Amino acid sequence: MRSDAYTITFTMIVAVILGLGLSTTADNLRERQNLNVELDIKKNILSVLGFEQNANSTNEDIQNMYDKNISEIIINSTGEIIEDNNVSSEDTYKIYQSRDGSKVTGYAIPIAGKGLWGTMYGYFAIEPDVATAKGITFYKHKETPGLGAEVDKDWFKNNFVGKKFIDDNGMLVSIQVIKGFVSENDPDSKYKVDGISGATITGSGLTTFLKADLQKYEPYFAKIRKLNQIESL
Amino acid sequence: MGENPISIHVLGICSALAITTKIDTAVVMTIAVVAVLSISNVVISLLRNNIPNKVRIIIQMSVIASLVIIADQVMKAYMYDMSKLLGVFLGLIITNCIVLGRAEAFAMQNSPGKALLDGMGNGLGYGAILIGVAFFRELFGFGSIYGGQIFTDQIYMSGYENNGLMILSPGAFFILGLIVWAHRAYTNVIDKE
Repeated sequence: MRSDAYTITFTMIVAVILGLGLSTTADNLRERQNLNVELDIKKNILSVLGFEQNANSTNEDIQNMYDKNISEIIINSTGEIIEDNNVSSEDTYKIYQSRDGSKVTGYAIPIAGKGLWGTMYGYFAIEPDVATAKGITFYKHKETPGLGAEVDKDWFKNNFVGKKFIDDNGMLVSIQVIKGFVSENDPDSKYKVDGISGATITGSGLTTFLKADLQKYEPYFAKIRKLNQIESL
Repeated sequence: MGENPISIHVLGICSALAITTKIDTAVVMTIAVVAVLSISNVVISLLRNNIPNKVRIIIQMSVIASLVIIADQVMKAYMYDMSKLLGVFLGLIITNCIVLGRAEAFAMQNSPGKALLDGMGNGLGYGAILIGVAFFRELFGFGSIYGGQIFTDQIYMSGYENNGLMILSPGAFFILGLIVWAHRAYTNVIDKE
């Protein structure tokens, strides 16, 4: 039987050595990890805005493609663009804008909200008319495989493309995930997408948070629509 | 062969269910477990004559936990996509009974060389079952093997559908049960009452 002093000393030495090892590893790898997280976000934004990437695009390719095509804007709750992000204490929202030269080709906004098992995170992409959906994507969710998890399958995401979230009077109606299939005779079919069978709660969750998120951006998007109108006259 | 941690001792079941929907995740998980198990066995074995008996489990846990965190960090830095797929289960190697079990039962009594072999052997035994389960789940759940499509469109056209049960946890239970049964029947292992 060893003495208590030995036990304590031994335990402390082991703890210090392991602690040092861990902090060194974490510290050395942090930069690389953050880069990965950022790249992953960029990949998602690029794909929702319709930029094709293939499986063997390197990190650099993605970075270049992002820098070339995407610019980020930050707005506040009244829809004004904020130049200096650091000073403001109010709520700010990020918009990712894709451009072809000086022409805007689309907008992407982050969306997040409750599904069935947890928070779902994704991006919603909008056509330059700011009334039509360009795409949707999810990069993190805990939905049931085969049921709610179908939200990140192409068949479901493609349903959003071309749907309207603004009605003819310029009011926000958002896009609703319904139960079952959208009937062609429904006069509101352009605001609705097919639901996933067996995943009603995931769908209605998505309906709710998509609308809430679009509402946050509406002050800014309403201005853009007005500008677009003036330009087209 | 007669000492496989999963099929004979029925250890490490939770991760065996969680990450075996596809073969590539199972392979990466196997590599991580083999690495953690070998290194932890060697470290514990080196320390075995100095570890005070009263706190030996705590010391073993600290060594294992540190190794798992390092493995997790390395994955996040160099294999980000894979680490997203494995998610929390890589961290849960800490609670995998196989690792602590081998440290306590083998490394505490044997030399580092033997402990290394024991760690690798158990890790690979664990991995063999993982990959075995993943093989069937991926084949019937996705119609592919290691990402390569096996069942062609023609088979799907003639009415075949991927089995959704295989992607969910119960599918793993069925396959794991069959593997345990087959292996035990073959090696004639009977639980002692």
